[in-house]
Amino acid sequence: MTKEDRDRLIRLISSPPAGSKIAAAKEFGADLTLLVSALELTPTERLERLADAQEFVRDWQAAMKTSAHD
Amino acid sequence: MINFQGSLRVLSNIQVRFVVIGGAAASAHGLPHLTYDLDICYDRSRDNIKRLASALEPFHPRLRGVVNHLPFFLDAATIANGMNFTLTTDLGDIDLLGEVTGIGGYEEAKALSVNLVLFGLECAVLSLDGLIQSKRATGRPKDLLTLPEIEALREIAAQVKRESRLAETQNHDSVTGKRSGPGPSD
Repeated sequence: MTKEDRDRLIRLISSPPAGSKIAAAKEFGADLTLLVSALELTPTERLERLADAQEFVRDWQAAMKTSAHD
Repeated sequence: MINFQGSLRVLSNIQVRFVVIGGAAASAHGLPHLTYDLDICYDRSRDNIKRLASALEPFHPRLRGVVNHLPFFLDAATIANGMNFTLTTDLGDIDLLGEVTGIGGYEEAKALSVNLVLFGLECAVLSLDGLIQSKRATGRPKDLLTLPEIEALREIAAQVKRESRLAETQNHDSVTGKRSGPGPSD
């Protein structure tokens, strides 16, 4: 995705067409900038990012357990 | 935790026929939601069930959420006698679904899938349309809550596709000297 494509998408999610699903999601409270960021990645990179997030949560939970025992 | 790369490689190495569905499919398309397992819809033909059982066997599959002293062995007969399994394996949590709510079996899931390259492997992944169809059919609050984002992602992805097609056409026209739209007269 080029910088111009990205800018176009940011404009689209900032002012989505009325009645569109994008507008509905925005009203629902979804952070649509995360979708645009994800679309800049390849499918493999998206799953790698998901695995990183899983690892972060696991480490965080372990740290919370340790601090609860201290 | 699930080792996506390891799981997909193990299944692909011996040519198990499957479609990636659920949270991993949504993530592969770009939905920024956390999921901890790999859900697949598998072909229930006899040869595929055999391949699936032998692919997972080295990774000690056991039923998830069941007390450990219950005897369980995932072989071809077990899979053939069941349908959907929620498993813990040495690779992480893997759910095997013979049928997907709102979709059907493997053939229907395959027809609603797109091929994506994941970790160098070409994998069938349930499309955004398929995910929407399945989540609507389950009707569970946790699925319905993700619908607005998936539907928005489908619109945004369609926009990206339209723009890249347009860019390709313009690029082709500039190479061939054709004009794709009105321009200044010579």
